[in-house]
Amino acid sequence: MMSQDFSVQPPRIATWLIGLFTSDNEAEAIPGDLLEEFSHLASKAGVAIARRWYWRQTGKTITHLAGGAFRGAPWFMAAVVVGGFLLHGFLHALPDKVLSEVTNRYLAFWSSHFQAYMWVLNGMMIAHLMASLLVGCMVALAAKGREMVATVTLALVYCGMGGVAVVGAALVWVATHRPMNVAWLLACWDPFAIIMGGLIVRTRRAQGRVCLPKPLGTTGV
Amino acid sequence: MSGRDYLGEFEHIILLALLRLDDRAYGVTVRQEIEFRTKREVSIGAVYATLDRLETKGYVKSRLGEPTPERGGRSKRFFQVTAKGVTAVSRTHRALRSMTEGLGLVRSYV
Repeated sequence: MMSQDFSVQPPRIATWLIGLFTSDNEAEAIPGDLLEEFSHLASKAGVAIARRWYWRQTGKTITHLAGGAFRGAPWFMAAVVVGGFLLHGFLHALPDKVLSEVTNRYLAFWSSHFQAYMWVLNGMMIAHLMASLLVGCMVALAAKGREMVATVTLALVYCGMGGVAVVGAALVWVATHRPMNVAWLLACWDPFAIIMGGLIVRTRRAQGRVCLPKPLGTTGV
Repeated sequence: MSGRDYLGEFEHIILLALLRLDDRAYGVTVRQEIEFRTKREVSIGAVYATLDRLETKGYVKSRLGEPTPERGGRSKRFFQVTAKGVTAVSRTHRALRSMTEGLGLVRSYV
């Protein structure tokens, strides 16, 4: 039997992705099991085959972990996602309201401050992204160990809504030949910002977990 | 007796694998045992998702082993079937045997 080559490492992105979706209980076991089998397969069948196997396992494993997170606490997860959706709706509208108040109050002067007005208008997109990022962080904090599943689900909801809006706008354009208003397409970045929020919280939690002392010997779970 | 007491197909397979492997049962060996005997590719995520469910039901218990270098210093999580789990396997087994009795094609199933 060939000796195992521990210097060959599995794809880092795949390992990182798995780390994002594993719970505290599985944080050591699943990456460790995959690495053990990867090393064995790499020495037996070659690195290329081992890497393909690793990616295949990564895809299936993430699917099962996400599904397991939902099956484990379906009402909790639904509440977190719906809460995130409502919070996003509220926070997303805030910058618009603020801008509206400002322009209403200083409407008589905004022509003389046109550049400042345009600057604020461009800053709206950044404000919307920051709001989405904040929502992603809050959803991830509320999800307690299921950060990525909750934020990815919320992001998928917005992707789905965006997809429906694009199809709707395209149908209207085909029917009426009116020019499409594509400004709202900027909102396509929102799902990414929500996921980024989840990533930030998850990474911070994982760092905190690494700092904790490792269990010595055997631990009953 | 409620229907919830019966095991799903994969839960049943996992518990049988744990019983076969005894004190060597952890993610890698369970996955390989199932692949070897059922000839179907199983992901480690499916194994752990099912094991977590079984642990919640009280059919299995787990403990962490020592970290090893071939695992990048990570610990193995060993699993063991509880008495409640053994009862659930027996009950499901009896139900399957009862259902397959008299069916010539699957006589050798259980």
